[in-house]
Amino acid sequence: MRWLAALMTAALATLAVAAPALAQPVNTGHLTAELVAQDQGIAPGQTIHLALRQQMLPGWHTYWRNPGDSGEPTSLKWTLPAGWTTGDIVWPTPRRLPVGPLVNYGYEGEVLLPVAVTAPANAKPGQTATLSAAASFLVCREICVPEDAKLSITIPVVAGGGGPDPTWGAPIARTLADAPKPAGLTAAFQKRGAAVALAIAGPVLQGADLHDAYFYPFDATVIDHAKPQTIDRGPQGLTLTLTPGYAFQGAAAPKALAGVLAVDGKAYEVAANPGAPPAGASGLGPPAAKGGAAGGASLGLLSAAVFAFVGGLILNLMPCVFPVLAMKAASLAAHGGRDEASNRAHGLAFGAGVLVTFLALAGVLIGLKAAGQAIGWGFQLQSPPVVAVLCLLMLAIALDLSGVFEVGSSLQGVGSGLASRGGLVGDVFTGALAVVVAAPCTAPFMGAAIGWALTQPAAAAMTVFLALAVGFAAPFVAVTFWPGLLSRLPRPGAWMDVFRKALAFPMFAAAAWLVWVLTIQAGETALARILGAAIVLALAAWIAGAAQRRAAAGGRPLVLGSAAVALAAIALAAVVWPAYAETPSEGGPAAKADLASEAYSPEKLAALQAEGKPVFVNYTAAWCVSCQVNDRVVLSTRPVVDAMHKDGVTYLKADWTKRDPVIAAELARYGRAGVPLYLVYGANGGPPQILPAILTQGVVVKALESAARRG
Amino acid sequence: MAYRQLSRRVILGLAAAFALAAPALSTPTINAPAPAFQAIDQEGRARSLAEFAGKTVVLEWTSDACPYSHKHYDSGNMQRLQAKATRSGVVWLTVMTDPPGVSGYMTAEQVRAWMTKVGSHATAVLLDADARVARAYEARTTPHMFIVDKAGRLVYMGGIDDRPYTDPASLRGAKNYVALALADLRAGRPIAQPVTRPYGCSVKYAP
Repeated sequence: MRWLAALMTAALATLAVAAPALAQPVNTGHLTAELVAQDQGIAPGQTIHLALRQQMLPGWHTYWRNPGDSGEPTSLKWTLPAGWTTGDIVWPTPRRLPVGPLVNYGYEGEVLLPVAVTAPANAKPGQTATLSAAASFLVCREICVPEDAKLSITIPVVAGGGGPDPTWGAPIARTLADAPKPAGLTAAFQKRGAAVALAIAGPVLQGADLHDAYFYPFDATVIDHAKPQTIDRGPQGLTLTLTPGYAFQGAAAPKALAGVLAVDGKAYEVAANPGAPPAGASGLGPPAAKGGAAGGASLGLLSAAVFAFVGGLILNLMPCVFPVLAMKAASLAAHGGRDEASNRAHGLAFGAGVLVTFLALAGVLIGLKAAGQAIGWGFQLQSPPVVAVLCLLMLAIALDLSGVFEVGSSLQGVGSGLASRGGLVGDVFTGALAVVVAAPCTAPFMGAAIGWALTQPAAAAMTVFLALAVGFAAPFVAVTFWPGLLSRLPRPGAWMDVFRKALAFPMFAAAAWLVWVLTIQAGETALARILGAAIVLALAAWIAGAAQRRAAAGGRPLVLGSAAVALAAIALAAVVWPAYAETPSEGGPAAKADLASEAYSPEKLAALQAEGKPVFVNYTAAWCVSCQVNDRVVLSTRPVVDAMHKDGVTYLKADWTKRDPVIAAELARYGRAGVPLYLVYGANGGPPQILPAILTQGVVVKALESAARRG
Repeated sequence: MAYRQLSRRVILGLAAAFALAAPALSTPTINAPAPAFQAIDQEGRARSLAEFAGKTVVLEWTSDACPYSHKHYDSGNMQRLQAKATRSGVVWLTVMTDPPGVSGYMTAEQVRAWMTKVGSHATAVLLDADARVARAYEARTTPHMFIVDKAGRLVYMGGIDDRPYTDPASLRGAKNYVALALADLRAGRPIAQPVTRPYGCSVKYAP
């Protein structure tokens, strides 16, 4: 029997060493609480972390150290063996939990609240220690229930420490790593009018994505938790505009503002004193919202890439591209006898040419953006000279398509010159040429994707351009791989000339639309100027055509050609210089709209909100086609106008036809780089409802009714 | 004087401009005129702040479904405070904001029964299920206490005391801010702590 006793002793000894911290979970009604340990044992004098684990029923939450507008933080009262000590709860970054118009800070689902525990130096290895805690917490959904649990955990004292607990070691380590920590941030706060500006700067904030930055104060009285925190970025940090809490109404204003700054997936402790803001904490405006964070406003990267791919496919049909491709396809057909492998190599070389050129283009755009230039088609269209030049460009393209003169032929000549080298180099150049020729066509189709890409980090911009390039190159490469497809493509022929001439009319229409935009931006004088310039340009095109015909007939086109160039230059100069006079915005389309509207300003919106009136805000611009469509097809119709009157909704128009930093900031707040944006504010405040970019009468009427009811 | 009024308006306007998403009415502000309100009480009478001009008015938010309110009612703490205040001529209005469908909601009849059961000494209980009064005062918690002085100015807002716990034992030795503020008012002193942190369950606003 000795062997049995020995075996049992050995087994018990193994159990004692291997048996890590032991604890019993307690179900208190709406959550299950237990103490868990990071390590399997503790060495004498060592500090390890325990954690209070709370698993809540769905929809229930417990609170952070500052519970926000209501509630109570979890507390632990320890009963410890002699010599043992514990620290305070290490609070993980909380979440915002809105309850009606109030906001609480707390945790949902499951949370680990770590606490440091230190064994005395004289603890004896081989012994175990039982640590007990009376945990009390308020657990709430709509209603709140105070619950208590007597919890304990038994930890073996092990000479060299116990090593991480297989279950809880990693989660507790992660919780500790993610918990807010000081990060050398300098911070200061100032009362500015009715708001408090909290400026924070430090190396960790440089280049961080600040769109979801939020300050959680430790004290429940210093800020109004439910109010939005507006963000102004700076090169080294940010400034949050906070709504002061009760403490600022007391006899003495708060001497410090301490808390946690949650930003870019991390959290830092911040301690601000009253005073001037640190350098580099403001000045760059609000951050662009990301990935639909601000209510699905943004174009996700994936959808932008898909959009770009489809856009690339469509580019193949563009009049400025199709001739080049048709030529290339014809040359492929001419090589009909060649083997498939060679055709494929040609196709891939063409594809490589397209890709390289698109990426180079993206590189240039990113470089320009880095140089601090605001480029984006929307912005460009806010400058009258740019609109005028674009208008002339559209007119020139239209005249070219109509056959008045030929620009494409000379470029194609260059292309066929290079392409006719026959080698793969020729294919690469054809690819590059196709992109260069296509560039003017990308604007109307790809404006949104390019504009989005430019507001994004370089990698995202590159992705979008890559998708555009792949879409553009795909049909041709596909044809080289499956020559059978070639027979299904329309053959180049007389139809192309008809198609081309037909395509001139959308271009004429684009030119006409730009004339209208310019008139709104710069008035009747600008109208006279652009129409005069258009006639001169048309004359130049006609003379150029004549010169080309003479050259084709073997004549000398020099005089006529020079005259054409000179006239075109005059037309161009006339629309660029001198500068356009500013016109007051009352001359804009707002004044002409059928529906009585008032010009938007943040002050007016706030005043209307203060009166408890529902408000419809239309962010629009004359050059925005979908805005105009929505205005005419939906907003000016009888049912919508009636709904506005019936529900007492005030209609504000924010006209972005010309550059306006205030409106740009508002758009950025809702994740938009451009218009349209439609917001409906309820009679009783709260965040506005964001309507889709393509409106229907039903959507608007329903939103107006619900806005009036929110009262 | 008119200029000062005007500048206060401008400041309030600015406050509204900053708080773009703020509720319709401006934030209750200490020493500013208290937000006006109208509500029906448990007897079906229309009550308003204007009705009590010239009197000190206490507003007390409560919910029978809230453990913090229960701490003060089950111990008799709130009723004693009500009795002492109303004896000295203070108007005490208990406000119930829980909307129908929320567990603390009561009909007028249920409120009358509740008043008898707990032995309320309140002047009246305002039935605020549409949250009009709560919105005007931005009431956050039950309890949340407000005091309006005889001149109609808001002179106190915040917690009932300094013990934000549900445990009845926490009442012992608590510093009752409302009792202290009423004593300061009676003595004609400025209120020592006009603003404190309200604690308790969140006020349930009708959607």
